[in-house]
Amino acid sequence: MRTKMIATVLILAAGMATAQARSSIWDGVYSDAQADRGRTSYMQNCSRCHGASLMGTYEIPPLVGRIMPYYAGSGLDALFDYISTAMPLDHPGALSPATNADIVAYILKSNDLPSGSKELTAAGTKAISFDAAKPRAKKK
Amino acid sequence: MDRRHLLKNTLALGGLAGLSSLPAAAQSARPAVLMPIRAHADRIYDIKCCIRPFRTKGPNLSVEHVGDATVIHNYGHHGSGWCLSWGSADMQVQKAMSFGTRKIAVVGSGVIGLTTAVQALRAGMEVTIYTRELLPRTRSYRANGVWGPGTVALASEAQAGLGDIWEQMCRVSWKNFRPYMGMAGNPIAWSEHYELSDTPFDAKSSAPLTMANGEPAPVFYDMGNRLGDITSIPEVLTPDLNPFPGVKYARHSTKMFWNFSEYGHLLTTEFFARGGKIVMRDFHSPDELAHLPEKVIINCPGYAAHDWWRDKAMIPVRGQTEWLIPQPEVNYGFTYRNVETRSKSDGVMVIAIGPEQFAKSWKNSNEIASRAEAEGAVKVVAELMSRFPTRPA
Repeated sequence: MRTKMIATVLILAAGMATAQARSSIWDGVYSDAQADRGRTSYMQNCSRCHGASLMGTYEIPPLVGRIMPYYAGSGLDALFDYISTAMPLDHPGALSPATNADIVAYILKSNDLPSGSKELTAAGTKAISFDAAKPRAKKK
Repeated sequence: MDRRHLLKNTLALGGLAGLSSLPAAAQSARPAVLMPIRAHADRIYDIKCCIRPFRTKGPNLSVEHVGDATVIHNYGHHGSGWCLSWGSADMQVQKAMSFGTRKIAVVGSGVIGLTTAVQALRAGMEVTIYTRELLPRTRSYRANGVWGPGTVALASEAQAGLGDIWEQMCRVSWKNFRPYMGMAGNPIAWSEHYELSDTPFDAKSSAPLTMANGEPAPVFYDMGNRLGDITSIPEVLTPDLNPFPGVKYARHSTKMFWNFSEYGHLLTTEFFARGGKIVMRDFHSPDELAHLPEKVIINCPGYAAHDWWRDKAMIPVRGQTEWLIPQPEVNYGFTYRNVETRSKSDGVMVIAIGPEQFAKSWKNSNEIASRAEAEGAVKVVAELMSRFPTRPA
């Protein structure tokens, strides 16, 4: 019983720690240098369908604009995982995790989300919320 | 007995009973006069490319639970979504009704999703479609769009009883298409179709087909001859009845097809008129369905099931159609040298078909339109049309 209780407390504590560490796509979760690399990879692997301006075509979805409400409420890992497993459409999964993280950074930048000092990593996407609008600062 | 004599006597007997007793060839006693298709590369005004949602086990029609939501699947109809739409919708709406709820969600709005939603509304339910695209931007709108339901599974993986389920879907769909015939704008129409060949039809190559990825050709589940009573049987045309110059062998049938603009508009209009609601959104994991307010959900994502439902039985089969500027005076289509044409209200459709095209399309998820493929197919049409006299006699 006691062991069980300790385990439960530890799990709860771990959960709270994760919740506290969670950041938003508005918190500067990628660097400008990374987005530049992502732009190069995007142009090589994605632009032939989604276009150089990320606007898509009549039949290919855009990666600016509606991507905000379409991913709102998910973690950034939802976008990263989709790109990793389903893209490029004719060679799904062909790009490395680091390249896909760069491409996600470029997509964030293209949607006017702020850059920061740290680079986005594949593992790091799990702890980042995809908020459609900038979360209001909490009152202290 | 000569043909004219036979015709006269048959007409004297009167009515359809007499007509049906005519030999097939005598029913078209003179060669049709065909208006040439203006097949030039500069008349290609659109190229549509899509992925057919093939599922090795056959369409997913199963029911599963995600949290407290009941998910009724309705996807994986290969290239037969238009043909199977109403029958598949009917089956899955019946399942939804069995849960006793009046409010349901439909995920996806291709021809399967939209038809399912309309069917549920007709059954008195309240329906909300959740979709990332609407007609005409969905993949199903990029289809060929002709009645000719084909196989929907691999022989080795087909679910038990698939043939019976498929036939049921075909027959219910067929009945549902009937009310659209003769409507303004011809949402569903018929046209003459000619199968043409330079060699006898029974002298096809028996060389084994190898897919572009090096795999042996898949063996498909054989649907058998289940629809003979509702499908026009090709009639062999003797040389004097063959309207195509320089073509040695010809067969003729009548095919039903969809004019997408009119048909899609009618489906959409009915959906809204019956109070259907649409929410534009995307889904990224099955768990998200549990958060919808509707607790019975019919899932119609088409090929998207491959990624968001992680259904690895889904196989992409690429398809491309090229569209020439409409020619209302062209009232026929043909199949020749691995190219098929069909004259629709929104253009003359041209598509590359045949074993080699299939080998390139199988497991190919490239959705970028190929201009070279389009021009190659149109060139075959142009060559055939060049054989027609400039001024028909």
